[in-house]
Amino acid sequence: MEPTTDLQKFVERARENRLTISFEHAVDAVESEKLFTAAYRTIRGIDASGFEPAAIFVPTKSSRLCG
Amino acid sequence: MPGEDQRVKSDLIYRSVAELAAGIQSGELSPVDLVAASLDRISQLDGDLNAFLEVWDDTARENALEAEKAISSGGYLGPLHGIPIGLKDLIDVAGKKTTGGSKVLANNVAGTDATVVQKLRSAGAILVGKLNLVEFAFGTTGLNSHTGDVKNPWDRTRITAGSSSGSAAAVASGMIPAALGTDTGGSIRMPAALCGIAGLKPTYGRVSRVGVLDLSWSMDHVGPMTRTTADCALMMNVLAGHDPRDTASSTEPVPDFTAGLSGGLKNLSIGVPKDYFFGDLVDPEVASIVLSSVEKMANAGAEIVELAMPWVHKGRSINLGVIMPEATAVHERMLSDRADSYTPAVRSRIQAGFNISAVDYVRAQRAREWFNHQMAESMARVDVLVTPTVPIQTPTIADCTPSPDRAAAGSELAIFTGVFDVTGQPSHSIPCGFTSQGLPVGMMITGHPFDEATVLQVGSAYEKLTDWHQRPPSDIPPPYRL
Repeated sequence: MEPTTDLQKFVERARENRLTISFEHAVDAVESEKLFTAAYRTIRGIDASGFEPAAIFVPTKSSRLCG
Repeated sequence: MPGEDQRVKSDLIYRSVAELAAGIQSGELSPVDLVAASLDRISQLDGDLNAFLEVWDDTARENALEAEKAISSGGYLGPLHGIPIGLKDLIDVAGKKTTGGSKVLANNVAGTDATVVQKLRSAGAILVGKLNLVEFAFGTTGLNSHTGDVKNPWDRTRITAGSSSGSAAAVASGMIPAALGTDTGGSIRMPAALCGIAGLKPTYGRVSRVGVLDLSWSMDHVGPMTRTTADCALMMNVLAGHDPRDTASSTEPVPDFTAGLSGGLKNLSIGVPKDYFFGDLVDPEVASIVLSSVEKMANAGAEIVELAMPWVHKGRSINLGVIMPEATAVHERMLSDRADSYTPAVRSRIQAGFNISAVDYVRAQRAREWFNHQMAESMARVDVLVTPTVPIQTPTIADCTPSPDRAAAGSELAIFTGVFDVTGQPSHSIPCGFTSQGLPVGMMITGHPFDEATVLQVGSAYEKLTDWHQRPPSDIPPPYRL
């Protein structure tokens, strides 16, 4: 049967990630998820085109070249 | 009736690092007496406040004796020599446990010192123990159901805020004059504000994180928590500097952070972003106290510039949007192995991160770049920003404890501080007044990247205008009940 509530959905997803979860933990987790859902809603609303961070990966000079 | 020896010790409790250092350097003050006073104060208060997880009584006394001998034979190392310092329990000390305030790492003994610990030892500081915190620093209230909650020395029914809860309570209550904290969403500045002390989050990359447990590697900072701004500067002179083992560590030159402390406020321009930091989200009494502090600084010669930052409310969302997936990645393996050992509150935050998509994480990083660009443009006309550190008055521990019938209070604590973890700017909280309930209010001074010196100059100038930072907490006994 398809999960119908946020709580049921969360428990299902936790199971998919091989995590067991108690009802109390799931309640806490759903509250956390609401907070983060709101955060990403705000982030998705920002037009950040052209602001790709260049420094996610910066190659480091080989120790062979550094002597 | 306390004896003369106890009276001498009690006088040391609320002195600043700078004052203590002057006494030690001149030979008037013995590091052995100072460390004894610190340990006595811990013994007097910590059963109730719960700031320390571990106290190293014997080694602290031995190291103090060594410091005293070295100093008396001409080997004075500088202002931290002989000063007792505590460490948030995310920071490695060789041969000691680093638990992160969690049952998960209850038996995790560090093999080597963190870089910041090496630096403190080299400066002659006396390490007195590990300080309580929110489990793995992942939370704002300072509560920890595993290690026990830390109580606020100004009102023991109230939170300290966190995550560096023990660091703030220990400094505020006179157990130690200085501590190290960490800050990813405000964890140095929030507890500093609510406990009435100074706390500096340096520029991202300024202080090494090697040997410090990660929460969110692109936003984690280590910094000092002390009673005065000048003491933060003294600590920074020891802590700052490039560490090739920390990939985010900066190679920017390190100045003498104390050099500008007497520079005053004339010729400095202070930006006041009223639309968010003084808007509807802020308790009116808190806003009024901070604005009256701004007025004091204006009267002392600072130029005040009102700034419009209509985009700045997005900062905390970006802060959370980066922290969340990084924290889940940090904890993924431990959570799979030991999920039941996490406290419910922290486990729930970490588990929620499994549902965040890679695209959302990349969006958050791109939004962060956009946000930094907006901030740099807005601050081009000013030297620092001044805002409240925390938007609300200090909640009670009961209000922040989750219960089945209501959501816990406190989620709004970090809406201001988190902004400057996103930008990595230096950001400093100092006491700027008290609410009508007698609770401290913090003012946050934020500068341009790598310009801690100006931030500290403003903080020090403000402290010379007021005595908020000199008041002892009202809800704890004085030393030896004199």
